[in-house]
Amino acid sequence: MPNVKINPDDVMIKLRGLKKNFGSQSVLSDVNLDIRRGETMVIIGQSGVGKSVILKHMIGLLQPDEGEVTVDGITISTAKYFDTRTIRKKMGMLFQMGALFDSMDTGENIAFALREHHPELSEAEIQQQVTDKLKIINLVPEFRTKMPSELSGGMRKRVALARAIALSPEILLYDEPTTGLDPITSDVINDLILEMQSKLGVTSVVVTHDMVSAFKVADRIAMLYKGRIIEVGSVEEIKKTTNPFVKQFITGQRKIDSEN
Amino acid sequence: MTFVLKPLFFLGQKIVGAISGVGEIFCILFYTLRALPYAHKNVNLIVKQMVAIGVSSVPLLFVTSIFTGMVATVQADFQFRGLVSDKFVGTAACKMILIELGPLLTALVLAGRVGSALAAEIASMREKEELDAYAVLDLDPYRYLALPRFIAFFTMVPCLTIISNGLALLGGWIVSVLALDITTYTFYTGMQYLFQPMDLFAGVIKSFVFGVTIFLLGYYHGLNASAGARGVGLATKDVVVSSCLMILILDFVVAAILFQ
Repeated sequence: MPNVKINPDDVMIKLRGLKKNFGSQSVLSDVNLDIRRGETMVIIGQSGVGKSVILKHMIGLLQPDEGEVTVDGITISTAKYFDTRTIRKKMGMLFQMGALFDSMDTGENIAFALREHHPELSEAEIQQQVTDKLKIINLVPEFRTKMPSELSGGMRKRVALARAIALSPEILLYDEPTTGLDPITSDVINDLILEMQSKLGVTSVVVTHDMVSAFKVADRIAMLYKGRIIEVGSVEEIKKTTNPFVKQFITGQRKIDSEN
Repeated sequence: MTFVLKPLFFLGQKIVGAISGVGEIFCILFYTLRALPYAHKNVNLIVKQMVAIGVSSVPLLFVTSIFTGMVATVQADFQFRGLVSDKFVGTAACKMILIELGPLLTALVLAGRVGSALAAEIASMREKEELDAYAVLDLDPYRYLALPRFIAFFTMVPCLTIISNGLALLGGWIVSVLALDITTYTFYTGMQYLFQPMDLFAGVIKSFVFGVTIFLLGYYHGLNASAGARGVGLATKDVVVSSCLMILILDFVVAAILFQ
Protein backbone atom coordinates (compact mmCIF):
# COMPACT_ATOMS: atom_id res chain seq x y z
CA MET A 1 0.00 0.00 0.00
CA PRO A 2 1.31 3.49 -0.82
CA ASN A 3 2.62 5.73 1.91
CA VAL A 4 1.83 9.30 0.86
CA LYS A 5 0.18 11.99 3.02
CA ILE A 6 -3.22 12.90 1.61
CA ASN A 7 -5.52 15.68 2.76
CA PRO A 8 -9.09 14.28 2.77
CA ASP A 9 -10.56 17.76 2.17
CA ASP A 10 -8.46 18.48 -0.91
CA VAL A 11 -10.56 16.96 -3.69
CA MET A 12 -8.96 16.80 -7.14
CA ILE A 13 -11.75 15.07 -9.11
CA LYS A 14 -15.40 15.31 -8.15
CA LEU A 15 -18.21 13.31 -9.79
CA ARG A 16 -21.77 14.28 -8.94
CA GLY A 17 -24.92 12.52 -10.14
CA LEU A 18 -23.24 11.21 -13.26
CA LYS A 19 -25.65 9.59 -15.70
CA LYS A 20 -24.79 8.07 -19.06
CA ASN A 21 -26.85 6.03 -21.51
CA PHE A 22 -25.67 4.46 -24.75
CA GLY A 23 -28.82 4.20 -26.83
CA SER A 24 -31.39 2.47 -24.67
CA GLN A 25 -28.72 0.95 -22.39
CA SER A 26 -28.14 2.76 -19.12
CA VAL A 27 -24.46 2.44 -18.13
CA LEU A 28 -24.09 4.98 -15.32
CA SER A 29 -27.23 5.82 -13.37
CA ASP A 30 -25.99 7.96 -10.47
CA VAL A 31 -22.25 8.03 -9.85
CA ASN A 32 -20.93 10.16 -6.99
CA LEU A 33 -17.25 10.01 -6.11
CA ASP A 34 -14.51 12.26 -4.70
CA ILE A 35 -10.87 11.62 -5.57
CA ARG A 36 -8.38 13.37 -3.32
CA ARG A 37 -5.24 15.13 -4.49
CA GLY A 38 -2.26 12.77 -4.44
CA GLU A 39 -4.20 9.58 -3.73
CA THR A 40 -4.54 6.45 -5.82
CA MET A 41 -8.20 5.59 -6.20
CA VAL A 42 -8.98 2.19 -7.65
CA ILE A 43 -12.40 1.68 -9.22
CA ILE A 44 -13.40 -1.98 -9.29
CA GLY A 45 -16.36 -3.70 -10.85
CA GLN A 46 -17.33 -6.41 -13.27
CA SER A 47 -16.40 -6.24 -16.95
CA GLY A 48 -18.78 -4.03 -18.94
CA VAL A 49 -20.16 -2.28 -15.85
CA GLY A 50 -18.91 1.15 -17.01
CA LYS A 51 -15.57 1.65 -15.25
CA SER A 52 -13.79 2.87 -18.40
CA VAL A 53 -16.79 5.09 -19.14
CA ILE A 54 -16.15 6.88 -15.82
CA LEU A 55 -12.48 7.42 -16.77
CA LYS A 56 -13.46 8.83 -20.16
CA HIS A 57 -15.80 11.31 -18.43
CA MET A 58 -12.96 12.44 -16.18
CA ILE A 59 -10.80 13.42 -19.15
CA GLY A 60 -13.62 14.82 -21.28
CA LEU A 61 -13.65 12.09 -23.93
CA LEU A 62 -17.31 11.52 -23.05
CA GLN A 63 -19.89 14.00 -21.84
CA PRO A 64 -22.49 12.90 -19.27
CA ASP A 65 -26.19 12.93 -20.05
CA GLU A 66 -26.71 14.38 -16.58
CA GLY A 67 -24.47 15.27 -13.68
CA GLU A 68 -21.19 17.07 -13.20
CA VAL A 69 -17.49 16.28 -13.48
CA THR A 70 -15.15 18.73 -11.79
CA VAL A 71 -11.39 18.44 -12.16
CA ASP A 72 -9.14 20.71 -10.11
CA GLY A 73 -11.96 23.22 -9.70
CA ILE A 74 -12.97 23.31 -13.38
CA THR A 75 -16.31 21.76 -14.31
CA ILE A 76 -15.41 19.90 -17.47
CA SER A 77 -18.83 18.35 -18.14
CA THR A 78 -20.00 21.78 -19.30
CA ALA A 79 -16.56 23.13 -20.17
CA LYS A 80 -15.69 25.23 -23.14
CA TYR A 81 -13.11 23.93 -25.63
CA PHE A 82 -10.43 26.02 -23.93
CA ASP A 83 -11.15 24.56 -20.45
CA THR A 84 -11.09 21.00 -21.74
CA ARG A 85 -7.65 21.66 -23.25
CA THR A 86 -6.39 23.18 -19.99
CA ILE A 87 -7.55 20.13 -18.05
CA ARG A 88 -6.11 17.65 -20.53
CA LYS A 89 -2.69 19.23 -20.16
CA LYS A 90 -2.86 18.31 -16.47
CA MET A 91 -3.86 14.71 -17.19
CA GLY A 92 -2.30 11.62 -18.69
CA MET A 93 -4.03 8.38 -19.54
CA LEU A 94 -2.79 4.84 -19.94
CA PHE A 95 -5.16 3.03 -22.28
CA GLN A 96 -6.12 -0.61 -21.93
CA MET A 97 -4.21 -1.70 -25.05
CA GLY A 98 -1.60 1.05 -24.79
CA ALA A 99 -2.95 2.95 -27.81
CA LEU A 100 0.57 3.67 -29.04
CA PHE A 101 0.80 5.40 -32.42
CA ASP A 102 1.65 2.42 -34.63
CA SER A 103 3.37 4.47 -37.33
CA MET A 104 5.89 5.98 -34.88
CA ASP A 105 8.72 4.34 -32.98
CA THR A 106 8.88 4.33 -29.19
CA GLY A 107 10.94 7.51 -28.98
CA GLU A 108 8.61 9.37 -31.35
CA ASN A 109 5.56 8.20 -29.38
CA ILE A 110 7.00 9.80 -26.25
CA ALA A 111 8.42 12.88 -27.99
CA PHE A 112 5.41 13.68 -30.18
CA ALA A 113 3.30 15.58 -27.65
CA LEU A 114 6.41 17.19 -26.15
CA ARG A 115 7.49 18.53 -29.52
CA GLU A 116 4.04 19.90 -30.31
CA HIS A 117 3.32 21.48 -26.92
CA HIS A 118 6.83 22.74 -26.17
CA PRO A 119 8.21 24.24 -29.38
CA GLU A 120 10.73 26.15 -27.24
CA LEU A 121 12.59 22.89 -26.45
CA SER A 122 15.55 22.00 -28.65
CA GLU A 123 15.75 18.54 -30.23
CA ALA A 124 18.54 17.61 -27.80
CA GLU A 125 16.36 18.59 -24.84
CA ILE A 126 13.44 16.57 -26.20
CA GLN A 127 15.66 13.51 -26.67
CA GLN A 128 16.96 13.96 -23.11
CA GLN A 129 13.38 14.02 -21.84
CA VAL A 130 12.62 10.85 -23.79
CA THR A 131 15.61 9.16 -22.16
CA ASP A 132 14.48 10.38 -18.72
CA LYS A 133 10.95 9.06 -19.21
CA LEU A 134 12.28 5.72 -20.42
CA LYS A 135 14.46 5.56 -17.30
CA ILE A 136 11.45 6.21 -15.06
CA ILE A 137 9.71 3.18 -16.54
CA ASN A 138 12.93 1.14 -16.26
CA LEU A 139 13.69 0.87 -19.97
CA VAL A 140 17.09 1.53 -21.54
CA PRO A 141 17.42 4.42 -24.06
CA GLU A 142 18.03 1.90 -26.90
CA PHE A 143 14.30 1.14 -26.75
CA ARG A 144 13.52 4.45 -28.45
CA THR A 145 14.03 2.95 -31.91
CA LYS A 146 11.68 -0.01 -31.41
CA MET A 147 8.36 0.08 -33.25
CA PRO A 148 5.20 -0.67 -31.20
CA SER A 149 4.69 -3.90 -33.19
CA GLU A 150 8.05 -5.16 -31.86
CA LEU A 151 7.02 -4.73 -28.21
CA SER A 152 5.38 -7.26 -25.90
CA GLY A 153 2.12 -6.41 -24.10
CA GLY A 154 3.93 -5.36 -20.91
CA MET A 155 6.48 -3.26 -22.80
CA ARG A 156 3.71 -1.52 -24.74
CA LYS A 157 2.03 -0.54 -21.48
CA ARG A 158 5.28 0.76 -20.06
CA VAL A 159 5.97 2.84 -23.17
CA ALA A 160 2.37 4.07 -23.08
CA LEU A 161 2.97 5.09 -19.48
CA ALA A 162 6.14 6.94 -20.50
CA ARG A 163 4.09 8.77 -23.14
CA ALA A 164 1.37 9.54 -20.60
CA ILE A 165 3.90 11.17 -18.23
CA ALA A 166 5.75 13.01 -21.03
CA LEU A 167 3.88 16.24 -20.33
CA SER A 168 4.36 15.87 -16.55
CA PRO A 169 0.68 15.50 -15.68
CA GLU A 170 -0.79 16.02 -12.21
CA ILE A 171 -3.38 13.29 -12.73
CA LEU A 172 -2.87 9.85 -14.25
CA LEU A 173 -5.74 7.65 -15.36
CA TYR A 174 -5.07 3.94 -15.82
CA ASP A 175 -7.56 1.87 -17.81
CA GLU A 176 -7.10 -1.81 -16.90
CA PRO A 177 -3.30 -1.49 -16.60
CA THR A 178 -2.66 -5.17 -15.85
CA THR A 179 -5.28 -6.83 -18.07
CA GLY A 180 -3.76 -9.43 -20.36
CA LEU A 181 -0.39 -9.46 -18.58
CA ASP A 182 1.24 -12.33 -16.71
CA PRO A 183 1.41 -11.99 -12.89
CA ILE A 184 5.07 -10.92 -12.84
CA THR A 185 4.67 -8.27 -15.54
CA SER A 186 1.48 -7.13 -13.78
CA ASP A 187 3.52 -6.61 -10.63
CA VAL A 188 6.06 -4.54 -12.59
CA ILE A 189 3.19 -2.30 -13.74
CA ASN A 190 1.85 -2.13 -10.16
CA ASP A 191 5.26 -1.00 -8.93
CA LEU A 192 5.36 1.64 -11.65
CA ILE A 193 1.93 2.96 -10.58
CA LEU A 194 3.26 3.25 -7.00
CA GLU A 195 6.45 4.94 -8.24
CA MET A 196 4.43 7.47 -10.25
CA GLN A 197 2.67 8.44 -7.03
CA SER A 198 5.77 8.57 -4.84
CA LYS A 199 8.22 10.08 -7.38
CA LEU A 200 5.92 12.40 -9.33
CA GLY A 201 3.22 13.00 -6.70
CA VAL A 202 0.42 12.41 -9.16
CA THR A 203 -3.21 11.75 -8.35
CA SER A 204 -4.09 8.38 -9.87
CA VAL A 205 -7.33 6.71 -10.84
CA VAL A 206 -6.99 3.04 -11.69
CA VAL A 207 -9.78 1.04 -13.24
CA THR A 208 -9.34 -2.69 -12.83
CA HIS A 209 -10.92 -6.00 -11.93
CA ASP A 210 -7.55 -7.44 -10.91
CA MET A 211 -7.89 -7.54 -7.10
CA VAL A 212 -4.19 -8.32 -6.49
CA SER A 213 -3.30 -5.12 -8.33
CA ALA A 214 -6.11 -3.16 -6.63
CA PHE A 215 -5.00 -4.16 -3.12
CA LYS A 216 -1.38 -3.35 -3.91
CA VAL A 217 -1.70 0.12 -5.43
CA ALA A 218 -4.85 1.57 -3.84
CA ASP A 219 -5.16 4.20 -1.15
CA ARG A 220 -8.90 3.78 -1.49
CA ILE A 221 -11.11 1.47 -3.50
CA ALA A 222 -14.55 2.26 -4.97
CA MET A 223 -16.88 -0.45 -6.21
CA LEU A 224 -19.11 0.26 -9.21
CA TYR A 225 -22.23 -1.88 -9.37
CA LYS A 226 -25.28 -1.42 -11.61
CA GLY A 227 -24.35 2.15 -12.53
CA ARG A 228 -23.65 3.35 -8.96
CA ILE A 229 -20.70 3.47 -6.58
CA ILE A 230 -21.92 1.14 -3.83
CA GLU A 231 -18.91 1.30 -1.53
CA VAL A 232 -15.79 3.43 -1.04
CA GLY A 233 -13.11 2.66 1.49
CA SER A 234 -9.48 1.93 2.25
CA VAL A 235 -8.02 -1.44 1.32
CA GLU A 236 -8.59 -2.72 4.88
CA GLU A 237 -12.15 -1.43 4.94
CA ILE A 238 -12.94 -3.09 1.63
CA LYS A 239 -11.39 -6.37 2.77
CA LYS A 240 -13.60 -6.30 5.86
CA THR A 241 -16.74 -5.16 4.04
CA THR A 242 -20.13 -6.58 4.92
CA ASN A 243 -21.65 -5.52 1.61
CA PRO A 244 -22.50 -8.85 -0.07
CA PHE A 245 -21.87 -7.57 -3.62
CA VAL A 246 -18.43 -6.16 -2.77
CA LYS A 247 -17.60 -9.32 -0.84
CA GLN A 248 -18.68 -11.47 -3.75
CA PHE A 249 -16.52 -9.47 -6.16
CA ILE A 250 -13.31 -9.30 -4.13
CA THR A 251 -13.44 -12.99 -3.26
CA GLY A 252 -14.37 -13.97 -6.82
CA GLN A 253 -17.54 -15.88 -5.95
CA ARG A 254 -20.01 -16.75 -8.68
CA LYS A 255 -22.94 -16.20 -6.29
CA ILE A 256 -23.27 -13.85 -3.34
CA ASP A 257 -22.80 -15.40 0.12
CA SER A 258 -26.50 -15.59 1.01
CA GLU A 259 -27.15 -17.66 -2.14
CA ASN A 260 -24.36 -20.18 -1.44
CA MET B 1 -51.24 -0.62 -38.07
CA THR B 2 -47.80 -1.90 -37.17
CA PHE B 3 -47.64 -3.34 -40.66
CA VAL B 4 -47.95 0.20 -42.08
CA LEU B 5 -45.89 2.01 -39.45
CA LYS B 6 -42.87 -0.30 -39.46
CA PRO B 7 -41.70 0.48 -43.02
CA LEU B 8 -42.40 4.18 -42.42
CA PHE B 9 -40.34 4.10 -39.24
CA PHE B 10 -37.54 2.27 -41.06
CA LEU B 11 -37.64 4.79 -43.92
CA GLY B 12 -37.63 7.71 -41.48
CA GLN B 13 -34.65 6.24 -39.64
CA LYS B 14 -32.74 5.86 -42.92
CA ILE B 15 -33.50 9.45 -43.97
CA VAL B 16 -32.45 10.88 -40.60
CA GLY B 17 -29.29 8.70 -40.72
CA ALA B 18 -28.43 9.93 -44.21
CA ILE B 19 -28.94 13.60 -43.25
CA SER B 20 -26.80 13.27 -40.12
CA GLY B 21 -24.16 11.43 -42.19
CA VAL B 22 -23.99 14.30 -44.68
CA GLY B 23 -23.76 16.72 -41.76
CA GLU B 24 -20.92 14.73 -40.25
CA ILE B 25 -19.05 14.68 -43.57
CA PHE B 26 -19.28 18.47 -43.78
CA CYS B 27 -18.08 18.68 -40.16
CA ILE B 28 -15.02 16.57 -41.11
CA LEU B 29 -14.34 18.97 -44.00
CA PHE B 30 -14.77 21.99 -41.71
CA TYR B 31 -12.47 20.65 -38.95
CA THR B 32 -9.87 19.61 -41.54
CA LEU B 33 -9.86 23.00 -43.25
CA ARG B 34 -9.69 24.67 -39.83
CA ALA B 35 -6.35 22.92 -39.32
CA LEU B 36 -5.02 24.19 -42.68
CA PRO B 37 -2.95 27.06 -41.18
CA TYR B 38 -0.82 24.43 -39.36
CA ALA B 39 -0.06 22.46 -42.52
CA HIS B 40 3.48 23.85 -42.81
CA LYS B 41 4.35 22.43 -39.37
CA ASN B 42 3.58 18.87 -40.48
CA VAL B 43 5.28 18.74 -43.86
CA ASN B 44 6.84 15.34 -43.06
CA LEU B 45 3.40 13.82 -42.39
CA ILE B 46 2.02 15.31 -45.62
CA VAL B 47 4.94 14.01 -47.71
CA LYS B 48 4.51 10.56 -46.16
CA GLN B 49 0.84 10.50 -47.17
CA MET B 50 1.63 11.84 -50.65
CA VAL B 51 4.00 8.93 -51.15
CA ALA B 52 1.48 6.41 -49.78
CA ILE B 53 -1.42 7.76 -51.83
CA GLY B 54 0.35 9.06 -54.92
CA VAL B 55 3.69 7.43 -55.66
CA SER B 56 2.61 3.96 -54.50
CA SER B 57 -0.44 4.03 -56.77
CA VAL B 58 1.57 4.65 -59.96
CA PRO B 59 2.33 0.98 -60.80
CA LEU B 60 -1.35 0.02 -60.59
CA LEU B 61 -2.41 3.07 -62.60
CA PHE B 62 0.27 2.31 -65.16
CA VAL B 63 -1.40 -0.98 -66.04
CA THR B 64 -5.03 0.22 -65.83
CA SER B 65 -4.34 3.42 -67.83
CA ILE B 66 -2.38 1.76 -70.66
CA PHE B 67 -5.10 -0.85 -71.14
CA THR B 68 -7.90 1.71 -70.85
CA GLY B 69 -6.25 3.75 -73.61
CA MET B 70 -5.86 0.64 -75.74
CA VAL B 71 -9.51 -0.39 -75.30
CA ALA B 72 -10.77 3.14 -76.00
CA THR B 73 -8.73 3.33 -79.21
CA VAL B 74 -9.69 -0.14 -80.43
CA GLN B 75 -13.37 0.66 -79.79
CA ALA B 76 -13.10 4.02 -81.59
CA ASP B 77 -11.50 2.29 -84.57
CA PHE B 78 -14.12 -0.48 -84.55
CA GLN B 79 -17.02 1.99 -84.48
CA PHE B 80 -15.56 4.43 -87.05
CA ARG B 81 -13.91 2.02 -89.52
CA GLY B 82 -15.17 2.65 -93.02
CA LEU B 83 -17.28 5.62 -91.91
CA VAL B 84 -14.75 8.38 -91.23
CA SER B 85 -11.05 9.02 -91.73
CA ASP B 86 -8.51 7.16 -89.49
CA LYS B 87 -7.56 10.55 -88.09
CA PHE B 88 -10.77 10.60 -86.03
CA VAL B 89 -9.68 7.55 -84.08
CA GLY B 90 -7.02 9.70 -82.39
CA THR B 91 -9.54 12.51 -81.93
CA ALA B 92 -12.13 10.25 -80.29
CA ALA B 93 -9.57 8.48 -78.09
CA CYS B 94 -8.07 11.79 -76.94
CA LYS B 95 -11.46 13.35 -76.12
CA MET B 96 -12.71 10.23 -74.33
CA ILE B 97 -9.54 9.81 -72.30
CA LEU B 98 -9.01 13.42 -71.25
CA ILE B 99 -12.61 14.32 -70.43
CA GLU B 100 -13.98 11.07 -69.03
CA LEU B 101 -11.96 7.90 -68.92
CA GLY B 102 -8.75 9.28 -67.37
CA PRO B 103 -10.27 11.13 -64.40
CA LEU B 104 -13.09 8.65 -63.85
CA LEU B 105 -11.08 5.44 -63.94
CA THR B 106 -8.24 6.98 -61.91
CA ALA B 107 -10.74 8.01 -59.24
CA LEU B 108 -12.46 4.61 -59.23
CA VAL B 109 -9.12 2.78 -58.96
CA LEU B 110 -7.99 5.09 -56.15
CA ALA B 111 -11.30 4.70 -54.30
CA GLY B 112 -10.63 0.97 -54.25
CA ARG B 113 -6.95 1.19 -53.44
CA VAL B 114 -6.43 4.17 -51.13
CA GLY B 115 -9.99 5.06 -50.09
CA SER B 116 -10.50 1.63 -48.56
CA ALA B 117 -7.02 1.73 -46.99
CA LEU B 118 -7.86 5.11 -45.40
CA ALA B 119 -11.12 3.79 -43.93
CA ALA B 120 -9.40 0.65 -42.62
CA GLU B 121 -6.56 2.68 -41.08
CA ILE B 122 -8.86 5.15 -39.31
CA ALA B 123 -11.22 2.36 -38.19
CA SER B 124 -8.33 0.39 -36.74
CA MET B 125 -6.95 3.53 -35.01
CA ARG B 126 -10.35 4.14 -33.47
CA GLU B 127 -10.62 0.52 -32.40
CA LYS B 128 -7.18 0.64 -30.74
CA GLU B 129 -8.07 3.98 -29.05
CA GLU B 130 -5.32 5.83 -30.93
CA LEU B 131 -7.77 8.62 -31.79
CA ASP B 132 -8.62 9.00 -28.10
CA ALA B 133 -4.88 9.03 -27.34
CA TYR B 134 -4.47 12.06 -29.62
CA ALA B 135 -7.30 13.84 -27.80
CA VAL B 136 -5.93 12.93 -24.37
CA LEU B 137 -2.52 14.35 -25.31
CA ASP B 138 -4.35 17.50 -26.41
CA LEU B 139 -3.36 16.90 -30.02
CA ASP B 140 -6.00 17.63 -32.66
CA PRO B 141 -6.51 14.43 -34.71
CA TYR B 142 -7.76 16.54 -37.61
CA ARG B 143 -4.44 18.35 -37.73
CA TYR B 144 -2.24 15.26 -37.52
CA LEU B 145 -4.37 12.61 -39.23
CA ALA B 146 -7.00 14.24 -41.44
CA LEU B 147 -5.14 17.26 -42.82
CA PRO B 148 -2.07 15.41 -44.23
CA ARG B 149 -4.38 12.89 -45.90
CA PHE B 150 -6.70 15.62 -47.21
CA ILE B 151 -3.79 17.52 -48.79
CA ALA B 152 -2.36 14.30 -50.22
CA PHE B 153 -5.70 13.33 -51.80
CA PHE B 154 -6.35 16.88 -53.04
CA THR B 155 -2.99 17.14 -54.78
CA MET B 156 -2.17 13.56 -55.72
CA VAL B 157 -5.46 12.57 -57.41
CA PRO B 158 -5.12 15.33 -60.06
CA CYS B 159 -1.41 14.48 -60.53
CA LEU B 160 -2.25 10.80 -60.95
CA THR B 161 -5.05 11.74 -63.36
CA ILE B 162 -2.62 13.68 -65.55
CA ILE B 163 -0.18 10.74 -65.47
CA SER B 164 -3.04 8.36 -66.24
CA ASN B 165 -4.13 10.54 -69.19
CA GLY B 166 -0.62 10.44 -70.60
CA LEU B 167 -0.33 6.68 -70.15
CA ALA B 168 -3.75 6.03 -71.67
CA LEU B 169 -2.84 8.11 -74.75
CA LEU B 170 0.41 6.17 -74.92
CA GLY B 171 -1.58 2.91 -74.85
CA GLY B 172 -3.86 4.26 -77.58
CA TRP B 173 -0.91 5.22 -79.75
CA ILE B 174 0.79 1.81 -79.26
CA VAL B 175 -2.31 -0.14 -80.26
CA SER B 176 -2.96 2.21 -83.22
CA VAL B 177 0.51 1.73 -84.64
CA LEU B 178 0.91 -1.98 -83.86
CA ALA B 179 -2.58 -3.35 -84.45
CA LEU B 180 -4.77 -0.86 -86.30
CA ASP B 181 -2.48 0.24 -89.13
CA ILE B 182 -2.78 3.88 -88.13
CA THR B 183 0.46 5.83 -88.45
CA THR B 184 1.94 7.87 -85.63
CA TYR B 185 1.40 11.03 -87.69
CA THR B 186 -2.30 10.27 -88.31
CA PHE B 187 -2.92 9.44 -84.64
CA TYR B 188 -1.06 12.54 -83.47
CA THR B 189 -2.82 14.95 -85.85
CA GLY B 190 -6.12 13.30 -84.89
CA MET B 191 -5.38 14.00 -81.25
CA GLN B 192 -4.71 17.65 -82.03
CA TYR B 193 -7.83 17.99 -84.20
CA LEU B 194 -10.75 19.46 -82.21
CA PHE B 195 -8.60 19.52 -79.07
CA GLN B 196 -9.50 22.29 -76.65
CA PRO B 197 -7.60 23.10 -73.45
CA MET B 198 -10.95 22.77 -71.65
CA ASP B 199 -10.86 19.01 -72.37
CA LEU B 200 -7.78 18.68 -70.18
CA PHE B 201 -8.86 21.21 -67.53
CA ALA B 202 -12.30 19.61 -67.17
CA GLY B 203 -10.68 16.29 -66.32
CA VAL B 204 -8.29 17.88 -63.84
CA ILE B 205 -11.07 19.92 -62.18
CA LYS B 206 -13.11 16.73 -61.81
CA SER B 207 -10.15 14.96 -60.25
CA PHE B 208 -9.86 17.61 -57.50
CA VAL B 209 -13.52 16.98 -56.66
CA PHE B 210 -13.00 13.20 -56.76
CA GLY B 211 -9.92 13.42 -54.51
CA VAL B 212 -11.79 15.34 -51.81
CA THR B 213 -14.78 12.98 -52.14
CA ILE B 214 -12.66 9.85 -51.62
CA PHE B 215 -10.92 11.44 -48.61
CA LEU B 216 -14.16 12.55 -46.94
CA LEU B 217 -15.94 9.24 -47.43
CA GLY B 218 -12.88 7.23 -46.38
CA TYR B 219 -12.43 9.26 -43.20
CA TYR B 220 -16.15 9.25 -42.41
CA HIS B 221 -16.56 5.49 -42.81
CA GLY B 222 -13.37 4.88 -40.81
CA LEU B 223 -14.65 7.02 -37.93
CA ASN B 224 -18.05 5.34 -37.97
CA ALA B 225 -16.88 1.73 -38.34
CA SER B 226 -18.46 -0.71 -35.91
CA ALA B 227 -16.21 -2.65 -33.56
CA GLY B 228 -14.03 -5.59 -34.52
CA ALA B 229 -12.58 -7.02 -37.71
CA ARG B 230 -16.08 -7.21 -39.23
CA GLY B 231 -16.53 -3.49 -38.62
CA VAL B 232 -13.29 -2.69 -40.45
CA GLY B 233 -14.33 -4.94 -43.33
CA LEU B 234 -17.74 -3.29 -43.59
CA ALA B 235 -16.18 0.18 -43.46
CA THR B 236 -13.85 -0.61 -46.37
CA LYS B 237 -16.75 -2.03 -48.40
CA ASP B 238 -18.90 1.02 -47.62
CA VAL B 239 -16.22 3.48 -48.65
CA VAL B 240 -15.64 1.76 -52.00
CA VAL B 241 -19.37 1.54 -52.77
CA SER B 242 -20.21 5.09 -51.64
CA SER B 243 -17.11 6.60 -53.31
CA CYS B 244 -17.87 4.91 -56.64
CA LEU B 245 -21.47 6.11 -56.52
CA MET B 246 -20.51 9.66 -55.56
CA ILE B 247 -17.76 9.79 -58.19
CA LEU B 248 -20.22 8.83 -60.93
CA ILE B 249 -22.85 11.31 -59.68
CA LEU B 250 -20.33 14.14 -59.28
CA ASP B 251 -18.84 13.33 -62.68
CA PHE B 252 -22.22 14.10 -64.20
CA VAL B 253 -22.74 17.22 -62.07
CA VAL B 254 -19.31 18.72 -62.82
CA ALA B 255 -19.59 17.86 -66.53
CA ALA B 256 -23.04 19.48 -66.66
CA ILE B 257 -21.63 22.64 -65.08
CA LEU B 258 -18.44 22.82 -67.17
CA PHE B 259 -19.92 21.92 -70.56
CA GLN B 260 -23.13 23.96 -70.40
